[in-house]
Formats: sequence, structure tokens, C-alpha cells
Amino acid sequence: MAKQVVPQLLRQHLANLAADDERISGRGQWEGRELELEVDCLYNADGSAKVVWGDTVVYVGVKFELREPYSDRPTSGSLMCGAELRPVAHRKYEPGPPSPESIELGRVVDRGIRESGCIDMNALCIVPGESVWMVVLDIHVISDGGNIFDAAGLAAIAALRNATVPAARYDVGEDYKLAVSLTPIICTFTRVGGRYVYDADEEEELAGAERLSITLGDNGSMHSMQKGLKGTFTTAELSEILDVCATRCDELRKLVDSKVE
Amino acid sequence: MGGYGDVKLLNDDGSRLDGRTFDESRPVEVKAGVIPVADGSAWVKHGLNEVVCAVYGPMEAHPRKIQLQDQAVIDVRYNMAPFSTSDRIRPGFNRRSREISKVTAEAFASTVMVERYPRSKIRIEIEILSAEAGTRCAGLTAASVALADAGIPMRGMIVGVASGKVEDTVVLDLDKAEDNYGQADLPMGIMPTTGEIAFMQMDGDLSMEELQQAIDYNFAAAAEMHDIMEAALRARYDGGDE
Repeated sequence: MAKQVVPQLLRQHLANLAADDERISGRGQWEGRELELEVDCLYNADGSAKVVWGDTVVYVGVKFELREPYSDRPTSGSLMCGAELRPVAHRKYEPGPPSPESIELGRVVDRGIRESGCIDMNALCIVPGESVWMVVLDIHVISDGGNIFDAAGLAAIAALRNATVPAARYDVGEDYKLAVSLTPIICTFTRVGGRYVYDADEEEELAGAERLSITLGDNGSMHSMQKGLKGTFTTAELSEILDVCATRCDELRKLVDSKVE
Repeated sequence: MGGYGDVKLLNDDGSRLDGRTFDESRPVEVKAGVIPVADGSAWVKHGLNEVVCAVYGPMEAHPRKIQLQDQAVIDVRYNMAPFSTSDRIRPGFNRRSREISKVTAEAFASTVMVERYPRSKIRIEIEILSAEAGTRCAGLTAASVALADAGIPMRGMIVGVASGKVEDTVVLDLDKAEDNYGQADLPMGIMPTTGEIAFMQMDGDLSMEELQQAIDYNFAAAAEMHDIMEAALRARYDGGDE
């Protein structure tokens, strides 16, 4: 990733705004940007979703592949979740092998989905010990206008929830809907001007510090956390964030429900 | 062409399987300005193909060894998303995408006024979201609109069009089945405003008469698509068609 110059003036401006409980976009501290979620939008994907969140645009496509199961789990299918931060998404991104940033994004989204247990891996077995389905989830960031973690996480679970297992195409039975029993949702908070805010935009990320990403399941239990970028935080800050996080996750889960039912 | 023997591509009455006439294109939709953080961008839906393109620049060309002292470097990446095809494709470049990127870059280097931006670089990022025959043409179309959206001066917009041959008949704009089992394919990048050709590839088997027919089809289709591209730019900047 190309190094970006952080304007000192912007950093100072964000700090001044924060002191007055304001944000550069005019939003409240825990207020998100306008959000659009579209599902089943990619012709060749077996499940898909597109999220437009402020200036951020993310597509997620689900594909299925036939695999031999791992020998210690002969009836268990598998999940692979990858992310690409391609140069299309921002002038700061450069071509080349997957960057640490894109690997982190893919793995954080992966953990939230995997650890929630929302996919019954044994339902992906075709012949025990011989063949199982691998669910492959590809995150494709088209425009990085800030908070790509939440956009990717939301698109990922929405794409999974409308995915169809293409059994007929592989000649192993009839197509069926992938069973997804839960809707894990990821929420990210970024330190901007000294305090945490929800759903940071491009300028806030440029001049901000560390971020905290938290994935919550349907019953409020936690499935993944990640602290990224330079900076430290206190337990008091964490507990404040967790309160907001629960509310935001419930709202986003309702949005997903409304699109896939 | 990837011919696999006898596959029926025309109905008994001689019409095309999807009901199009020989000189009829698949429906084309164009939108300008779909990627907020890019300097210019476009979205093209051509039949079942779906493509987005971002343009960044002109910007400093680095490393310095790629700089040209009297003109801008056009840097194109054509990339297929892993979920864009029926079988998932591994992310990253392959020989096909590198070749398409190269000839696409050369097409735009001949139409963009590169001499205005010495020692700089213009990045064109073409991302294929759905691939159903004709993605390189849809990519050319999207890149032209994205360059115009970025305000980069060009001698004209390149329009991506293709004709081919199925069951010994020349037809415009091959769909997936026609492309897989047809006898020839002739993708071209045409600038309808000047009548020049900036991009051309061909594979298969065409007689000289068939080639002329395919070129005629391509030119007529390019003129029509140019109107759609122009309307997309007007919709973004004028607030609607004229």
C-alpha cells in the first residue's frame, strides 16, 4: 500500500471537532452513513451481495467447489474467505500479491462467520471421506471510502444467506439453498480526534488512529474481535463501545433479514 | 475458437437461439461515476457481462524508470473477479488478463492526449464482475466512459464491439454459447467520431467477404453504443439526456 501523507491540519481539525462532540461529516459520534444493501446481484456467483455505504462499495460473491474432506473430519465441509484490495478501490492500493491489509480483512470477516457456527459444515457433506462442498467467499472492494470491514462483513453474511449450492451443475443432486442459521454482524469503531466513533469515513481513517472490530451473533454473544492499526485503548472505552455495538448489530441484522427472507 | 463439434447455434428457421437478428446487439446499459473515491469511473452491463472501471490520475509515475519524458504512461489492469465465471477462478493475473491489459493500454495510449502529461501516469482499472462472452469489449467501453468522467482529454471515446461467425453466418455480438462453439470472433475498439480502429483481435476462420461483413456490423453497432455512452455522461453532468 502506498504511503499516504496525513495532513497535520486535518488531524488538528478532527481533534477540535471531537472536543465539541462533532464530526467532519456532521454525524453524531455513533451515527453511521447512509447504507444500501442489494442481494443476488451477480450473474455467475452462487450467492452475492453489494453494499454501498457512504463512499464505500463492496461486492461479495459466494462460489462452491467440490473437495476431498480433511481426514480428521470426513463429513465436514469447509469455508474459505478471501479479500482483495485491488488498485481499483483507491489510489493508495497497488497491484501485486495480497497485501497484509487485505489478508487481515479476509481473516477478520472469516472468523466472525466461522466462529458463529452459522453454517452447518456437516450439511455440506456429499460422500463421507470422499467429497464435501467448500464454500468460497470472495470479498471484492470496489471503492474504499472508509470502514471496509463492516461493509465486507455485511455483504458476506447477506451473500451467504442467499447462496444456492449448485449441486446440479456438478452432477451431485439437485440445487438447494445453503442453510445459514445465524446472522453474525461486524461493527468497527475508529479513534478519531482522540475519541472513538462508529463507521469512520475516508478522512477520519486517514487522520485517525487504531480501530476495533467486533462481531456479535444473534443472541448478543461475541464471535470475533480485532484491534488493528497503531494506538491503544482502555477497558472503559471498550465497554462503552460494546453497548453501542449491540444496538448497531441488531439494526444491521434486521436489514439483512429484510433483504433475504 | 473453442469449437466442440456439432452444437446447434441457429434455429431451423435460421434465427439466433436468443431471438436476436444477425446485426442485433445484446442490451447495453452504461452509468458514469459509480466509484466515489476514483477520479473517474463507469459501470457497463452488456448482456450478462457486468464491468466496473476506475480511472486514477494523471498522477506522478513511479518508479521513475517507467516515466516517459514527453508523454503520460497508460497503465491498464483488466482483472476478472473470482466469482465472475461459472467455475471460480483463482485471484490474480494470468496470461490472458496480461495480454488483454497490454493491448487495451496500447489502444488508449493512441486516443488519450498523453502528450499533455509528460512523466505522469494514468491508471485504468477494469474489474469484471460477471463474464458471459465479450468482457474485453465491455471493458473498453467502460474505460472510455471512466476516462471522460475523469475529465482526461481524448481524441474520441473507444467503443468495444465484436462480431463473429456461427454456423457459417456472420453475426454481431456473440453470446456465451456462440462464443464457445462458434467459428470466429472479431472484437474491435472503434472510435465512431473519427472512424478509426484502436483495438482489434481476431480468432477463428473468416473469408474476406465475411470479414467485411463483420467490420460493417461492428461499425454500425459502435455508433449506436456511442450514443448510449454519451447519454450516460450527460445524465451525470447535465442531469439528463438532451
